[in-house]
Amino acid sequence: MLRTERLNKQLGMFSLREISLEVSPGDYYVLLGRSGAGKTQLLELICGLTAPDSGHIFLDGQEITYTKVQQRGIGLVFQDFALFPHYTVHENIAYPLKVRRLSREEIDLRVRNAAEEMNITPLLARKPNNLSGGEKQRVALARTLVTDPKILLLDEPMASVDASLKDSIRRMLRRLNRNGQTIIHVTHDFGEAISLANRVGVMHNGKIIQEGTPLDVFNHPVNRFVARYAGIKNFFRVTFVTSYKNCSGITEKTTKFRLPKADYPASGLLIIGSSEVLLSRQGAPGVQMNNIHGIIDDVVPSATGYEITDNAGDYFYVDITRREMEENNFITGEKVLVSFPPDALRILGEPEGKKEY
Amino acid sequence: MKGQSLFNWIFTVLASLVLLFIIAPLAGMFLDSSFSEVRTTAADPEVQRSVWYTLLIAFSATIIFAVGAVPLAWIMARKEFPLKKVAQGIIDLPVVLPHTAAGIALLGFISREGALGSVAQKAGILLVNNGAGIALAMAFVSLPFLINAARDGFAAVPERTEKAALTLGASPSRIFFTISLPQAWRSVVSGFIMMFARGMSEFGAVVIIAYHPMIAPVLIYDRFNTYGITSARPASIIFILVALVFFVMFRTLATERHTIFRREDDAAD
Repeated sequence: MLRTERLNKQLGMFSLREISLEVSPGDYYVLLGRSGAGKTQLLELICGLTAPDSGHIFLDGQEITYTKVQQRGIGLVFQDFALFPHYTVHENIAYPLKVRRLSREEIDLRVRNAAEEMNITPLLARKPNNLSGGEKQRVALARTLVTDPKILLLDEPMASVDASLKDSIRRMLRRLNRNGQTIIHVTHDFGEAISLANRVGVMHNGKIIQEGTPLDVFNHPVNRFVARYAGIKNFFRVTFVTSYKNCSGITEKTTKFRLPKADYPASGLLIIGSSEVLLSRQGAPGVQMNNIHGIIDDVVPSATGYEITDNAGDYFYVDITRREMEENNFITGEKVLVSFPPDALRILGEPEGKKEY
Repeated sequence: MKGQSLFNWIFTVLASLVLLFIIAPLAGMFLDSSFSEVRTTAADPEVQRSVWYTLLIAFSATIIFAVGAVPLAWIMARKEFPLKKVAQGIIDLPVVLPHTAAGIALLGFISREGALGSVAQKAGILLVNNGAGIALAMAFVSLPFLINAARDGFAAVPERTEKAALTLGASPSRIFFTISLPQAWRSVVSGFIMMFARGMSEFGAVVIIAYHPMIAPVLIYDRFNTYGITSARPASIIFILVALVFFVMFRTLATERHTIFRREDDAAD
């Protein structure tokens, strides 16, 4: 198991602060954050390329904070793969085995096994400059995996490969993890985290601001930054009004949300996913249903259909499918209603008055 | 279009004038010497000895000093340390010094009374008027060419390949010899050739340290002083031709390697 305790590292104007995390054997841990959040620097601390200013790193109960990088047993695959351009693929994969002074036969056997595993056997005689992004990715993985790392660190593994190859790389990483390989994977893509991780840590400005399962993080973001990361666009700062009969939240622009009965603070931030909002001309039935009038401000095609911006005083972002669009033919300037049940609204755990990201 | 064409014409004329300025004196020298003069001079044992002596000392000086210059270049490319800019200034200093002044400075250092000279004398080595002294003079004025070219080469090596090798278990020395040096090789070889070529053609510093044994530039000067230009010209031609052969040979070797890399890059596109 890998455990870091309150790691701190000053890097010019930027600093990693109080990084504590635990990764159990067999975990697929995804560190999620924008570029510049400190994810790569954290990987470099874990594998020993840099040393922390303070804090501790433990691997399988042993402190490795100042252990040499060569002796940690942690593998790192860089974002740009860092293949050795002057060596062939075979020589690249054999490099760590030569360092370990294995016999020539043993090296050749292990290189061929790794190449077969990664499906790159036909590439063994080629130089890295002749390979595609996906092929380079597999070579870099094979080169690291032949060292049997206790933990595999992946720095943005999908960033330098074509979109068409991402699925196959995702499948390969899932297979590696199923076979018992512990993985820490750095990315800025929440979709990547959802599809691979069993645990997620969200990094921002050198700190881990939320940790948990991907669904936990998606459903209960601790602040607006994490919520935005999880793809949520509808945020409403409200004053809560509770009475004997019902509870509601009212925005500055007087949009009123019906809420489930519960204890609410005086004010807070409500969020709702774009796909949880129904857009129609007649509204949705149900006494408790929120039906809010507005005017369509913009219609933008998206990967799955259309994103419609509805101006109801406050702005609502609504995702609809192509089929829904064909049936309803929504146009800019049209009067519509946005509808959603009270329990679709979630309250962000962000304390009142906290700086928004 | 017309403006563009005029611009091209002006630049072509200016460029041709500069090329002509370089080639005209050399061509004149070749045209003013007869083939029999050159052949007779080439057969002169003193000329032959001085040419080979020049090549041998310049090559030895380059090889010996490369042992320290290449690591220095790597440090300048990879490490940050206090007074790094001062260190870079010191490396460049021989380029801006008048070479006779460099020779005088070096003479004070390697003569019997000098710091290095006195130590060498105790070991039974005389540096002044000796091949070793000539090698030191050649190295002194030509080292910046090797150090700066190799430094640029090391700086261009992606640092991540070195970091990747570290994570794969390699020691720093293995990384230097298997990752950094092979990737910077072209620049190192190019610097090596430039240092060799510059050392070979050195006169000012060498003549202060050792008039004898005569290297080719000193021999040419000596022939000019003693017998005049007609005697110095064939010796110059022979030295230029030999130097050119070696220079082109080394350059071709380095370019061959460069072409191999480029072919791979092209195939990747």
